[in-house]
Amino acid sequence: MLRTVKPKNARSKRVLDAREPKEVEDARIAIFVKGTKTGEVLNGVMKDMMALKRPDAISFSKKNVIHPLDAQNTASASSSTSSLEFWSSKNDASMFVIGQTSKKRPNDLTFVRMYDGKVLDIVEVGVENYVSMESIPGTKSTPGHKPLMHFASELFDTHPRFIQLKSMLMSLFNGEAVESIYLKGLEHVISVSLAPTPATLNTASASTESTTPLPKVHIRTYATRLLASGSRIPRVELTLMGPSMDLVLRRHTNPDPELLKQSMKRPKLKKTDIEKGLGKKRKNLDVDEMGNLRGRVHVGKQDLSKLQTRKMKGLKAGAFEDEHGDDAGDDDGDSDQEVTTKRQKLH
Amino acid sequence: MDVSNILADHAEKTNSTQLQVETDNPLDVDAGFLTVTDPNPIDVESYDSSLESHLLSIARTGTQALFNSLFSLPTTSSPDGPLAQLPAPTTQLPRAKPLPKPKPLTKWEQFAKAKGIQGKSKEKRMKKVWDEEKQEWVNRWGKDGKNRQIEDQWITEVPMNADIDFDPKKAARDERQARVAKNTKQHEANVARAQKAGTSASSSNTEREAHKKELDRTLAMSRTSTASMGKFDRKLDGEKKMKGIKRKFNATEGSVSAEAKASLEVLSKMNSDARKKSAGEAKDPEASILNVRKAVRFASKGRGGIALGRERAKGAGARKGGRR
Repeated sequence: MLRTVKPKNARSKRVLDAREPKEVEDARIAIFVKGTKTGEVLNGVMKDMMALKRPDAISFSKKNVIHPLDAQNTASASSSTSSLEFWSSKNDASMFVIGQTSKKRPNDLTFVRMYDGKVLDIVEVGVENYVSMESIPGTKSTPGHKPLMHFASELFDTHPRFIQLKSMLMSLFNGEAVESIYLKGLEHVISVSLAPTPATLNTASASTESTTPLPKVHIRTYATRLLASGSRIPRVELTLMGPSMDLVLRRHTNPDPELLKQSMKRPKLKKTDIEKGLGKKRKNLDVDEMGNLRGRVHVGKQDLSKLQTRKMKGLKAGAFEDEHGDDAGDDDGDSDQEVTTKRQKLH
Repeated sequence: MDVSNILADHAEKTNSTQLQVETDNPLDVDAGFLTVTDPNPIDVESYDSSLESHLLSIARTGTQALFNSLFSLPTTSSPDGPLAQLPAPTTQLPRAKPLPKPKPLTKWEQFAKAKGIQGKSKEKRMKKVWDEEKQEWVNRWGKDGKNRQIEDQWITEVPMNADIDFDPKKAARDERQARVAKNTKQHEANVARAQKAGTSASSSNTEREAHKKELDRTLAMSRTSTASMGKFDRKLDGEKKMKGIKRKFNATEGSVSAEAKASLEVLSKMNSDARKKSAGEAKDPEASILNVRKAVRFASKGRGGIALGRERAKGAGARKGGRR
């Protein structure tokens, strides 16, 4: 664990303040680490992923002895999670992409996600059929522009391994919540789709899950072209931009439930946000086509019998008796009878 | 004039098949994260026949759906062009760091909050102040700061009755340094208070203590739960002897007055609602914040509460007299 440093000057204080936890977080900074041996393929993969991730990417160009998934087994490897934690705290990075090739696991790419300086979860994949960004002609996306992401398969909603992979890739490329965006600046889309779901996975049961091979993951990166369509919404054309690769899922670790629960905590909604309609469901409010906020107000049924209409002398309650009945001052029973009889006469 | 043809043409153009996305299941668009998820199963035939064109077509469908929702979002204008206002993301991703903790209030902030005092906050108070003589904004502190004006100016007024060795610059400097020292002291006290509150409030620590206590109690209970109440159990190495509760008894013979006093105390406790009172006081938030003695000292200008009361009474009497 690092010593907590007290900033000595204003500049380092600003840097440390920027690293403090925020309510709405910035994009995760990813460190691309090379293991003991990386082949040509992995070098290319990491380079292209960095090109997509820039400017939130840091490259470790030297080789490192790191095996985060062997941490449980050997004593030497347990230091690799601690070195991940060390690098994370030094660089303010919360994501790692580790490339390593071996005879047992050729072209192995490991995604590590951190929470609060600790390893949250790990996904290991093997890379196949890699086509680099350079080898495909055409314009490339500008560094710093946010990619669109596209996931295609029902397994991304049902299968835990693919839910994790989707979450991991979204954290890597698209995990930043922004308020507004310039739509013409959306230049590229990262498409992640799967091979057809094998029949054994459709009848999902825990026992078969481990034995059946999981479908391949196809990652393609396309550049978007927006064409006029005659309406406000443009028509989209895609051209392959690269990198393209197919991934095979290998080992993984699930997040520690306690740590995951902590990491999923959301900030309390502010009053202005609730007024805007976030969080609680707004009742009796809707926005019409012109963008006006329309409210519906419910009032109780109005009692029209007490409604004050135009005042006229003839309509006064006691007016009739005053004019005609001189004997109104007599005992009550008689006067009542008289009133009723007089009304009958009137009708 | 028949415009139906023209209208139909236009409708065809705008509703061109290219824009519309037709799938069995609706696509799940998360505009906040610029992500679209296609929950439809992959078509085996097209996948097998040509992989790349299949991938391109499903990617285009998904991207079109995403753009459809993005371009229908409300926009605001900016110097660079229209910006689409993105909704909050629906996908839940784990955070990279824990939520920021609220800053502990300083003693003054606590007091101001309890009393409803709304002064200028630290952020709102400007770093610069207007200098009437120079007719410009100058720093409140720091380089050429306003707080050092008297020390820095080349000529300073000296009061008529001042000592012979009175140095106005030194006096101003001492005063400023005293203010700084006072502020530092208060700041340190605030930091210490926040730290103390932080350690005592940390739930994990107290939880751990409670757990430890619970374990100890369970162990003690289990040790005495044999037929011999633990007397003939096999002892482990280094096992500590259990500590029981030592009962203490008062001497059977004591002074009569002490006994009477104790009994009366119990009786008075039963009669009075002192316990209720003390509980009510503890709940009152102002009690901890407001230093009553200090407040009295301040109000009576250091002469104490009795003097203050006397003065009040006198003042009321004088007013009564005046009316007559």
